[in-house]
Amino acid sequence: MAELKEDFSTTTWVMIPVAIAINIAIGQLIFALKIPLYLDSIGTVLVGILAGPWAGALTGLLSNLIWGLTGLNVTYAPFAAVAAVIGLLAGLFSEAGWIRAWWKAILSGVITGLVAAAISAPISAYVFGGVTGGGTDVIVAIFRSFGFGVLPASFAQGVSSDPLDKAITFLVVYLIVQALPLRFLARFPRSENVREEPEPA
Amino acid sequence: MAEAFSLYTGQESLIHKLHPLTKLTLAAFMLVGSLALPGPWPTYILFIAVLVPLALLARVFPRLLSLAWRVVLPFAISVFLIQGFLWPGGTPLVAIGPLSLKREGLLFAVTSVGRILMVVTSFLWFALTTRPDLLMTSLVQRGLPSNLAYIIVATIQIIPRFQQRASTILDAQRARGLETGGNLLQRARGVLPLVVPLILSSLVDVEERALAVEARAFSHPGKKTSFIEIAESGWEPLLRWVVIIAIAALIGLSIWLRTL
Repeated sequence: MAELKEDFSTTTWVMIPVAIAINIAIGQLIFALKIPLYLDSIGTVLVGILAGPWAGALTGLLSNLIWGLTGLNVTYAPFAAVAAVIGLLAGLFSEAGWIRAWWKAILSGVITGLVAAAISAPISAYVFGGVTGGGTDVIVAIFRSFGFGVLPASFAQGVSSDPLDKAITFLVVYLIVQALPLRFLARFPRSENVREEPEPA
Repeated sequence: MAEAFSLYTGQESLIHKLHPLTKLTLAAFMLVGSLALPGPWPTYILFIAVLVPLALLARVFPRLLSLAWRVVLPFAISVFLIQGFLWPGGTPLVAIGPLSLKREGLLFAVTSVGRILMVVTSFLWFALTTRPDLLMTSLVQRGLPSNLAYIIVATIQIIPRFQQRASTILDAQRARGLETGGNLLQRARGVLPLVVPLILSSLVDVEERALAVEARAFSHPGKKTSFIEIAESGWEPLLRWVVIIAIAALIGLSIWLRTL
């Protein structure tokens, strides 16, 4: 409990809205550049890594609720639980020290993407008929025509996009964390998880 | 709230005057009803009998429809083509070339489109009629931690500034010769030079914001007063209880219908 209170410092509380705005601004930028990725959880992963799994989960959850409540992208709201799990996993990988090396960061992203695909498939199947309304629906069509159920077809669609998307997200966050000044990083409760301890002078 | 991101436009209507929590319970009623009730038709009944009248009362119906159909249409096309025609097995209804529209697939598609329609329009109806800061103030008065309310209100205020900053960075990098057109690889190469400055520059804000909110007793544990007073007519709490009981009844009904 004391640890949780330490994670939610004033810096964390102030960081969360900035992180959500990062999610939304970059998500829209990527969409405008017509790149077939989402990259709409960079802020969530950043908070998870720097302020712990619970702060990451809260960022993801509120991020998708805000997409919905502001009417900006209402179809994201039902996936709020998935976004929360992404933030949670980012925090856990950071605790395990996986964000200290670029290849471990990418691997964390791939695993997070697989988990995200697995939890979003039932939501997508129940609320959205298993489709996304986008280009990756070709994969749903292929799997359905081979006789797979709605749920496996939706999962296959997720696997085709989520692991790559989250791997790039984690890599971007890794690069950012390495570029941030130590003085700034030190303001966050879990900063010791992301950089090697500086050599004593 | 000047320059805050939200679909809310300060219109005058019976619905706009309602307490935010009343609208929240009404939106929850529509969401729960459309997701809990089994079968293809309940969502369409809810749409016609509840959502359309509420949107007409709020005088947002044309706007809501034009926003909703842009979101719903791609889903509807996908779901009809994929689940309607590619349903494995099933009873064929109409044959087009080698494919045929299946009865089961069509029913599944109709069910899904109803759910998508209701999820999208309930959220849009709420967003179009409710000021986000008033919603948060009313939730804090009911015991929501003010830190959570801060996150939501601050985010909504930050988003427009971020969008502006994103387009400034896009222009700056283009002026330095960054390709943002061309093939996918060229566009993908542009991602890092756009994303990294945006994130780094916004993180610089965090420190300043932390000092600013601390100076305003952010982490002080005592009770805080609010600048905003929310007006409410005497019958509204009663209406809310009626809606909450109706939500419970809907959940009960859908459990009963599924065990039949």
